[in-house]
Amino acid sequence: MDIVDSSGVPASGEYLTFTLGKEEYGIDILKVQEIRGYEAVTRIANAPPFIKGVINLRGVIVPIVDLRIKFNLGEPTYDQFTVVIILNIGKRVVGVVVDGVSDVIQLNSDNLHPPPEFGSILDTRYILGLGTVDERMIIMVDIEQLMTSQEMALVESAAA
Amino acid sequence: MSIDMSQFYQVFFEETSEHLANMENLLLNLDVESPSLEDLNAIFRAAHSIKGGSGTFGFTDMTGVTHVLEGLLDRLRKEELTLRAEMVDAFLAAGDVLRAQLEHHQGGPDADQAAIDEICARLTQLATGEAPAAIHAEAPVPAEAPSRQWRLACVLPADVAASASAVDNLFAGLAEIAAVDIRHRPDAADGRLEALLTTSRAEGDIRDLLGFYLNPEDIQLREPEETAYGFFDAEPAAVAEEAYGFFEDPAPTASAADPGYGFFDDAPVAPEPAPAAVEEADGGFGLFEDAPGKPESLPDRSIQPGDSPAAIEGQGYGLFVNAPGGLGLFDNAPGMPDLGRAPIETAPATASPGPTAATPTAQPAAQPSPGRRLTDNPSIEVAKAGRRENDKTVIATGADTSIRVSVEKVDQLINLVGELVITQAMLAETASNLDPVQAEKLLAGIDLLSRNTRDLQESVMSIRMLPMSMVFSRFPRVVRDLAGKLGKQVEMKTIGENTELDKGLIEKITDPLTHLVRNSLDHGIETPEKRVAAGKNPKGTLTLKASHQGGAVVIEVMDDGGGLNRARILEKARERGLPVNDAMSDHDVWQLIFAPGFSTADVVTDVSGRGVGMDVVKRNIEGLGGKVELESSPGFGTRTVIRLPLTLAILDGMSVGVGGETFIVPITTVVESLQPRLDDIRTMAGDSRMMHIRGEYLPFIALSDVFGLPGVEDITRGLVVVVEGEEGKAAIFVDELLGQHQVVIKSLEANYRKVPGMSGATIMGDGRVAMILDVAAVIRLGLANAKRRVAA
Repeated sequence: MDIVDSSGVPASGEYLTFTLGKEEYGIDILKVQEIRGYEAVTRIANAPPFIKGVINLRGVIVPIVDLRIKFNLGEPTYDQFTVVIILNIGKRVVGVVVDGVSDVIQLNSDNLHPPPEFGSILDTRYILGLGTVDERMIIMVDIEQLMTSQEMALVESAAA
Repeated sequence: MSIDMSQFYQVFFEETSEHLANMENLLLNLDVESPSLEDLNAIFRAAHSIKGGSGTFGFTDMTGVTHVLEGLLDRLRKEELTLRAEMVDAFLAAGDVLRAQLEHHQGGPDADQAAIDEICARLTQLATGEAPAAIHAEAPVPAEAPSRQWRLACVLPADVAASASAVDNLFAGLAEIAAVDIRHRPDAADGRLEALLTTSRAEGDIRDLLGFYLNPEDIQLREPEETAYGFFDAEPAAVAEEAYGFFEDPAPTASAADPGYGFFDDAPVAPEPAPAAVEEADGGFGLFEDAPGKPESLPDRSIQPGDSPAAIEGQGYGLFVNAPGGLGLFDNAPGMPDLGRAPIETAPATASPGPTAATPTAQPAAQPSPGRRLTDNPSIEVAKAGRRENDKTVIATGADTSIRVSVEKVDQLINLVGELVITQAMLAETASNLDPVQAEKLLAGIDLLSRNTRDLQESVMSIRMLPMSMVFSRFPRVVRDLAGKLGKQVEMKTIGENTELDKGLIEKITDPLTHLVRNSLDHGIETPEKRVAAGKNPKGTLTLKASHQGGAVVIEVMDDGGGLNRARILEKARERGLPVNDAMSDHDVWQLIFAPGFSTADVVTDVSGRGVGMDVVKRNIEGLGGKVELESSPGFGTRTVIRLPLTLAILDGMSVGVGGETFIVPITTVVESLQPRLDDIRTMAGDSRMMHIRGEYLPFIALSDVFGLPGVEDITRGLVVVVEGEEGKAAIFVDELLGQHQVVIKSLEANYRKVPGMSGATIMGDGRVAMILDVAAVIRLGLANAKRRVAA
């Protein structure tokens, strides 16, 4: 799948929303390759705790990141309801573990607000804005920026 | 219509490289004393194919060189000249020049023009030293032909002529290369096409273009000089019809008495072979445009009104030599006078039709049939022989059943099959839980599936396998050149060149092997005087050998030279401050020469002696998962043994379990595995553990410590795998041994990043991912861990 929009600018389009604990997040649906259930991973030695390990996705070795651990949200439980969103970022494939996938929503710039400037675990650099849909607040994440960032430790070159 | 030729460039590059390699190979194997005609023909064919290809794609510089090369080769294979050693040298040098030119066209640096000129001059001189008459035939093609007029007459096939758009395309295409003055536009009723073209392009270009529309042999291209072809104007239709008819139906339409008709005079004399020649010319198209004697290679002498008909004829003949089919026709005509000879060779305006036409055909016995008699004009011979060669090439291509596939596609196939194998293994595992009585058929099917997938995997893997001859074939040249430079006599032998190796390995093994061969020549094999003094054959032998041993490919480089000088190596090692002593085993001493910067050569030559090399060789080979060993005995020679895995994509591994995870230890690094006893483990400085195995103390590294896994603590319940990495042996402690597998190596970096201690990952039979250990890194990590603990 080709990445259509990598500008990082809040643009109207379709977003996939998922929950982490009680919070709802949205990511560009064009970055999503597939959604699948959680399966046993192979641990990677000496990796940060939020990197669960790698799985075999039809012959491709794909690292799995648990965003709940990364963001300190919700209980990192793994059962048949745990969902992994497989993302296609650049030429890489990465899986993220979330509590649940809720919806695909349309958002345009009207109901997208800039994120407030205060410190949080999730650096505002990676937040595109806050969206409102039916009184729910959805945190729009620039997933590509986040996944290739140094703190995710997923990409070699970004660490340099 | 114009076709973008650049899309075919890659194919041309590949084919030309192959032809060059093939040519070089043949040249090196050529026996100068009594060259086999077969080989000479094969070399000629290779040169000719390069020429044809480069001409088609407009790489005129290459065409120029091959043209000269071909001229000499042709005389050789016709036994007009005898092969001499300097000719072989010149051919090899020409091959190098061509390779440089090819690289230039592929975007490499400019080919050295001086070298090109030099080699052309050398070849021409070699060819003409005994036969000055061949000068014209071998003159290089001028880069830019002067603009001239062509008269084009042909009959388009009905289907082309009937399509207005096709005709438009044709004229548009012509307009791109020439100024077109349409005399008769073809239509459905009358397919005749007549036009005057003014262009600086070669005739071959026009023919190429027209070749897309009609049979090449139907194309009539001439210079419409009034004096030369006055009769064309007098009866234009007749010319087209007549000339055409000449090919199709050799009726005696032209009058033999009329000198103005030039070579057509002979048509009635040659009725029989004509249709046959036309038939034979099928597929000869690409070739003829390059036939020597074509207009570009003639001195661009425009026809003067005062020229005698013969001279014009000669020019005209030169044109006609180009005509695909036309050529075969004319010089095959029995009893055909040697028409082109006088004008082409001497080109005087004084030549008269009488004597030239009377010149009898020479060398009749050399030809298989009266219809294929040769004239003694070399340029015609080349052209004709060239056509015959082309016939052969066509046959050869027909018999050649291989296809070119990009490595990417093959790798994709290998990946897919790898997944299939995994899926099959998963199925088999699930099915093993079924009741064998109830699910008998299913289980039988799964059995069959597993057999089929295994076969499939093997065949797919074999696609990537290439014979070692791909590597070995380049060495005769290296050895020849180097031996000449060093003043040594060396004979090279290769054994087992059919041993197959993965393409990736083939590419990477070439450099280390070249280095070893150069080393053997420079340091190993002695000068002839020394060899005679030592009672050996003055001619040294260098042997390259490849063979399969178990799951590995073993490549050996052997020489019968002086062997390694133990005392000298030790002395040098001491000078360099390496820890050595006289009691070291030979094996350890030989390993010293793999140290960076180590050289025992007194003089640094451009061949070797700088001391960069053996360490690089060792590193490269270890990087491929292989090993290098040296054996040497003074006075008898040296043997370097390289062991390589069969492929880079598959690895033989031992799977071990630690804390519930599976790891793969590359089997090449495993020395042994054993169950440790508690009293084998000694501690050093309180915490660093050593293991005592048969007199050796090895660092004891628990994999669970290195990777922070909850492993077995009780040493007696686990197992120790003794591994050997770059930095020596170590005892790695694991929970259990799971088995031995062939695993497909998958990259971790593709989606993640490099993990310390891991060289990659693989997918096991149950679909889970297992990490492949990088043994050297694991040892380093383990030792660093121990140090940290000591420091803490």
